[in-house]
Amino acid sequence: MFDLRLPSGLFFVITGVVLIVTTDPGHINLYSGLAMFVFGAMLLLLAWRKTRVRKSAGIHTK
Amino acid sequence: MKLSLADYFILSLYFCFVIGIGWKLRKSVTSAGEFLTAGHHVPVWITSLAFLAANLGAQEVVGMMASGAKYGIMTAHFYWVGAAPAMIFAGVFMMPFYYGSKARSVPEYLKLRFDEKTRALNAITFAVMTIFSSGISMYALGRMFQIVLGWSFDASVILSAVIVLVYTWLGGLTSAIYNEVLQFFLIVLGFSPLSIVVIARAGGWRGIQQRLPGAMTHAWKYLGSANQNPMGIETFGMVAGLGFVLSFGYWCTDFLVIQRALAANSMSGARRTPLIAAFPKMLMPFIVILPGIAALALTKMGTGYSLPVKGNSYDYDQTLTTLMAHFYPSGMLGVGLTALMASFMSGMAGNVTAFNTVFTYDIYQSYIRPGASDRHYLTVGRMTTLAGIGLSIAAAYLAVRFNNLNDLLQLVFSFVNPPLFATFLLGMFWKRATGHGAFYGLLCGTFAAAFTQGLSTAEGKGGWLAGLHDFPSQMAQNFWISIFAWTTCFAVTILVSLATKAPPEAQLEGLVHSLTKLPPDPAPWYRRPGPLAIIVAAVLIVLNLIFR
Repeated sequence: MFDLRLPSGLFFVITGVVLIVTTDPGHINLYSGLAMFVFGAMLLLLAWRKTRVRKSAGIHTK
Repeated sequence: MKLSLADYFILSLYFCFVIGIGWKLRKSVTSAGEFLTAGHHVPVWITSLAFLAANLGAQEVVGMMASGAKYGIMTAHFYWVGAAPAMIFAGVFMMPFYYGSKARSVPEYLKLRFDEKTRALNAITFAVMTIFSSGISMYALGRMFQIVLGWSFDASVILSAVIVLVYTWLGGLTSAIYNEVLQFFLIVLGFSPLSIVVIARAGGWRGIQQRLPGAMTHAWKYLGSANQNPMGIETFGMVAGLGFVLSFGYWCTDFLVIQRALAANSMSGARRTPLIAAFPKMLMPFIVILPGIAALALTKMGTGYSLPVKGNSYDYDQTLTTLMAHFYPSGMLGVGLTALMASFMSGMAGNVTAFNTVFTYDIYQSYIRPGASDRHYLTVGRMTTLAGIGLSIAAAYLAVRFNNLNDLLQLVFSFVNPPLFATFLLGMFWKRATGHGAFYGLLCGTFAAAFTQGLSTAEGKGGWLAGLHDFPSQMAQNFWISIFAWTTCFAVTILVSLATKAPPEAQLEGLVHSLTKLPPDPAPWYRRPGPLAIIVAAVLIVLNLIFR
């Protein structure tokens, strides 16, 4: 079973970038995009950390 | 509302990801158990968010924002009084029997605890209701995208149906659960900015309180009498009807949500699922109800935004879409619409995955072809998914022809769910309850609900037998229908059980509280159901005190 944090994190990182580059006068896109980017990056980091821990413990999944 | 390239990109990206998740999971689905019950190996943080998201369909989001604008902060009782206590009860008391009995579905638990006829009654009514629910989700999606974006109704329905079919066909329940979690994140991140902006424009909570009548901004203060508040309900009806019967009937017995907890990788995980889900659930009013109240305040302020008018009242159902159109620029508009699309689709997927499990295990395996190979049931599960989507599309077009189909479905829900909770309560906590008692209790409870509706009116509806009583609102009528249905089922089950032969105690081990010894929980104390339940209850009390 793959880690759901990977696709979720990737989705929010890409969406965050799209929002950051789509400017608007009230900066709603900018702040929301930054929040999504940080959230997505955090999910990716957690997924990466788990993979590293599993690898160092010698646990392999199919 | 006009979408830009960025909005279409975000929508398309979401479609790619949901199908990608199904594609990635396809190799892990090798048996009927993997496909229909997720093989009981989903991590608890995922089952918890899915438990919550399965109930967070778009109709819920749109409807709650509309109710926020119509009834005010009292709508939050659907989360605080009408969800959190029931979720505590489900996690602490009921999940050990569901998970411990190894039942694959709620109807199967009824078979183990009572008898075949009680299972059949529940399985058939549940299967029919899930198909209609899924169809109405599709219908609502098609209508919303037709009105808001000018898209073709047929194209919206077919596109969403095909995407849901692809990812549930490939990854089964696991795929549906994973996508529900993604949908939950999207709803929170997609609607939180709207909530912040709208509430800030209305002058914050204090500004809203100054502009609206007290009954709109107090959750408890005006519940003393039904004519003091816009919901037309008093404390007893609210606590007994919504807080006990309706909410426990839904959160403790509806297989759509219970199925998510049963997918957890351990008994401890299954018990923690509703308890962990209760935390975000209690905070959801800040995202889905407060903007509705703020929208009404903004309308009174005359700052440029106004709730749309329908006849001589506001069209509350358009609150969310008009707020998005007014406050969201291109980009966030795409995120908001994607979140709505996601919740419509996961509403469909949730119903279809519950339908295929109940049909395959409780109808097909039990009555049509018992004893076949696992591979055969996997194929049946997949074909049932296809049939479920097809039937949902048919139900969506039925809803086009009969525009009161949703009202009818909600009515049927309020007839079926409340008595079911009485059956479970007696089944799990009273060893003397019998199969005959449960079956006739369920039937009489459902008829009692229908009669109460037939003998009372609310907002010009009901009273098809006689108009003996008029309720101030349909919501108040629903609460009281549930109270009568539950009480009738409870009383009839007890009476019939006492008049029939008690089941042997050996048969009830693991199914009834007094005859079951729970295994010790290996988790540290702070992750056990008891302490978690105390924290949920404490947060719940604080929230109710703040908004009293």
